[in-house]
Amino acid sequence: MTSAGVGELAVEVSGIKKRYGSIEALRGASLRLYRGQVTALIGDNGAGKSTLVKAISGEVRPDEGRIAFNGELVALAGTGDSRRLGVETIYQDLALAPDLTVAENMFLGREVRVAGLAGRLGVLDKRTMQETARQILAELGIKLKSFNAPVRSLSGGQRQAIAVARAMKWARHAVLMDEPTAALGTLQRELVYNSIRKAVERNLAVLLISHDIPQMLRFADKIVVLRHGENVAEMNPKQVDLRQVVDAMLGEANPK
Amino acid sequence: MKTDESKLNRAISAISTQLLSATSFWMLALLMSLIITFGLISPNNVFLSANNMFTIALGVSQLGLISVGTCYLLGAGQLDISIGSNITLSSILCGKTVVALAGSPAEVAAGIYPNLNWALSAGALAAVASGATFGWLNGVLVTRLRLNSFIVTLATTGIGLGAALVISGGSNVPYIPRVVQTGFSNYRVGGVVPLPVLITIIVATILWFILRRTRYGTWTLAIGSSREASARAGIDVNRHILSLYILMGVLCGASAILDIARFASTNIGGHRLDALQAISAAVIGGTSLFGGTASVFGALVGALIPAVLGTGLVIIRTDPFYQLIIVGVIIIVAVFMDQKNRERNI
Repeated sequence: MTSAGVGELAVEVSGIKKRYGSIEALRGASLRLYRGQVTALIGDNGAGKSTLVKAISGEVRPDEGRIAFNGELVALAGTGDSRRLGVETIYQDLALAPDLTVAENMFLGREVRVAGLAGRLGVLDKRTMQETARQILAELGIKLKSFNAPVRSLSGGQRQAIAVARAMKWARHAVLMDEPTAALGTLQRELVYNSIRKAVERNLAVLLISHDIPQMLRFADKIVVLRHGENVAEMNPKQVDLRQVVDAMLGEANPK
Repeated sequence: MKTDESKLNRAISAISTQLLSATSFWMLALLMSLIITFGLISPNNVFLSANNMFTIALGVSQLGLISVGTCYLLGAGQLDISIGSNITLSSILCGKTVVALAGSPAEVAAGIYPNLNWALSAGALAAVASGATFGWLNGVLVTRLRLNSFIVTLATTGIGLGAALVISGGSNVPYIPRVVQTGFSNYRVGGVVPLPVLITIIVATILWFILRRTRYGTWTLAIGSSREASARAGIDVNRHILSLYILMGVLCGASAILDIARFASTNIGGHRLDALQAISAAVIGGTSLFGGTASVFGALVGALIPAVLGTGLVIIRTDPFYQLIIVGVIIIVAVFMDQKNRERNI
């Protein structure tokens, strides 16, 4: 993993506000994601973490604020826009189609087609997609018994690792992850964290929402804490301990 | 060389594992054993004659078309139970168009059709256009109003049948030219294969290719497998579902043409069970009721099994009503196998 501050700025978000009726989900939140760095986004339930990720991925339209990818301001009308601009998002609920194969999932919506008229009619180049998918999984060290089996037959960790692999294949700037390991056991988590490390090695910026603070202290290069929709702290995990992070997260509500 | 061999062995073992877990494979085995059994016990092996085989296939050609369409819809997690009403309405409009354009009312009543070719082309077009519009309406209601497909198509079952009865006055369209039966439905390509059977085989082959080899097919199954994952992957889910209902409608229109051609008549009361038969055929053939998995040739096998049973039981002089019971059991076995496959893979 690269050390903090080395990479260029991949995603810059500032002054994001989002209101749902009477609830203010985000009250001017900001974030800077650097290439080759893992940023952990931490906060209590309702702190606005998921809303902030959704704003960057284009799933939610902020009421106010600026979002820039690779130094350029962007206006996102949907998740398709962020993906086109090189920012991929991985969701907690394993956003794969369980009946499709690994390759079909990896290329879903961005299929490789054969050349010529047949390609324009939508005929797929399955061999190229399979070979590419196989190559990416080999790089990530993910071994599968059968490559043509539906994704449903894989373990939760393998599935989430495939989601990471897919994001790595397509992301040019950053990968956003909303609790990618929440539903997984210890070994399965390790598989996913290994995949994330590979994404970082590829000089992508990684944003990780997680409730697993001890793990984030070991894994992340930077910890950003949100409370009530606002940034309350930005920490270097090597210089803080669990207590300090929890204090920042819970603020005055935290009984000493 | 050795690597090639081991690759080949791996491929063979992967294919055989997939085959043995596929419902469609077991249903094909069942179909073949039924055919062989009836062939052996029928007098003079008459069941196995090419003539009998193609007569059975002819009877299934319409069901084959709509079963394949149903396999696409179920694959995408959708249901269309208005198929029968769509076919009835499309065939009435087709028949009315042919009769209106073939000649003057007096000529047509006398069996004289001066504008026959033009009238038949316009009739076929009317059937397909009517079917597609009916399908489009289902699709719009499902996608734009976000209504459940079962409820939408339950409602349009009544609307479509009602419209067909209003237009036809409740009776079949008279004076349809007999040539549609003699020159089309009874025509045998190469003196052997009935034209409607060939049409169904060609359409099914094209739709098999689209499902297995194109982006359209992948998206269909992706939507049935996880609508959310598909939308997040950038697929316009609503537009795709709408196109699937239109495809189903076009197949209903084509089925209406085959229907009229079969007896040179419309068949107002004969399509009430079409949707259930098509769903049964698709499910027997390995298409999942849960979406995400579909087999075009499985649907054809699923359409053939009840027909083979029906004819076979008559030929061996057993009560053909047993067919209903046996098909019911087969459906339960097919769905159970699908469920087991899914549980094993979770």
